[in-house]
Amino acid sequence: MTERRRLLIRLAPALLVLLLAGAWLLPAVDGLDLASAETEPVEGWQSALDALPPDAVVLVGFDPDIGTYPEIRPTVRAAVADLLNRGARLAFVNLTAEGRALLLGELRRLERATANPARLLDLGYLPGAEAALVSLASGPSVPAGAAGAVARDVATDGFGAIDAALVVGGNDLGPRSWVEQLLPRVDRLPLLAIAPTTLLPELQPYLEGGQLDALLATPRDGAAYRAAAELGPLERLREVDPAAAPVLLGLIVAILVIGQAWATRVAASIRDAGHEAREQA
Amino acid sequence: MRRPTLGALVIVVGVLLLVDLLVVNASLGELAGLLVDAAILVAAGAALAGVAALALRRGGDLWRRRGDPVGATLVLLGIGAVLVAGLRPGAAGAADPAVEWLVAALMVPIGATLFGLLFVSTLAATRRSLGMRGRDATVLAAAALVTLVLLLPLAGPAGAWLSTVAAWTLAVPIGAVFRGLLLGVAILAALVAARTMLGVGSTND
Repeated sequence: MTERRRLLIRLAPALLVLLLAGAWLLPAVDGLDLASAETEPVEGWQSALDALPPDAVVLVGFDPDIGTYPEIRPTVRAAVADLLNRGARLAFVNLTAEGRALLLGELRRLERATANPARLLDLGYLPGAEAALVSLASGPSVPAGAAGAVARDVATDGFGAIDAALVVGGNDLGPRSWVEQLLPRVDRLPLLAIAPTTLLPELQPYLEGGQLDALLATPRDGAAYRAAAELGPLERLREVDPAAAPVLLGLIVAILVIGQAWATRVAASIRDAGHEAREQA
Repeated sequence: MRRPTLGALVIVVGVLLLVDLLVVNASLGELAGLLVDAAILVAAGAALAGVAALALRRGGDLWRRRGDPVGATLVLLGIGAVLVAGLRPGAAGAADPAVEWLVAALMVPIGATLFGLLFVSTLAATRRSLGMRGRDATVLAAAALVTLVLLLPLAGPAGAWLSTVAAWTLAVPIGAVFRGLLLGVAILAALVAARTMLGVGSTND
């Protein structure tokens, strides 16, 4: 390998980061759209929200992980605003420490955006992961000092007061645990989930099987939902959508790098097979 | 060495939780609830012990001048910063603005950056795997190429076609494989649990 090629390989990651940063600064480009044209996931999501009763109480299991949260954060914020705009009341619960840390920031953001605090209830952090989910099935415990109609309803009726659950999942504890540990222990509970793409393959069968009522698990489905969501006066809770140009650039770089290596490998295999055939002949 | 007490405990707890799931009985429910609460306490204790062990290990590394001193210092500084921010007199614990700042301004960007670095390292790993001339790597890279093309964020008819094909691959081939995997894992977990509870083929044998 020449010195110049070695230097180029060393600098390649830094060049890629610079290119991505440059693409991020570009204005919106016609012909690019992060939102998926496949409407089924968004329609399923909207149908699940439409099916909620007025003034519904939604239990929000908020357990994203720090690494993948930026991927789903715009969608999570839009979903929370959408639910509040539809008149839902939200009871948040955490089963992971990371989720707790992230939720406190989101609650503070809602507070700054003057979301109606009477429609929000913080049930706190439950340690124990799956065991905590099993315990949650016997009725969420409302922290001492929690006031308001949501706290009263949940304290009185337990899961009877809850109309649906929205699970914001991460790598540690996701919607799959809710399906496996909570759903068998409670009466019919519509379960909606937002999860990073890494969890999509393991969640897709649950969506097809009906255990999950709706799922948003790719950046493109999330973007399609955000484009369709009407947040009314809570539009201020919406986060600026990520740009499509850096995504396109990253994908093209990946296709070129892997494609070049793959084509070289396949060409070498064909050459080797040709040599062998000639030798045998 | 076999520990019959532990095995018996696992059997009793497992059967109790299973029966509680199937039979509606208030006393049984309370007993199962107690066991679940105990599991929660053990898990919380284990989490605390894990953090303490990490701090002790890194502190020991620094004290004995072994391992990675920069890494150990950063770990201890990180633990210390969050503890001081959350537990100092007058602080509001995890809801304290200083803790929230540490999470939002440091931990989230650092965590996302580490995930972002996976992009570069995965590309490098793919090239290395293909260089090793394995057939599996060739198939994996071909599948990755197809997936990457399907994910291109294009608008218009081309984007719509890519989205439709991506949805089909997810629902049919990938969905079928993962459904099979989930079923297999569930059956295996049930078998292992049953063997453990019945004391059959223990790993201690």
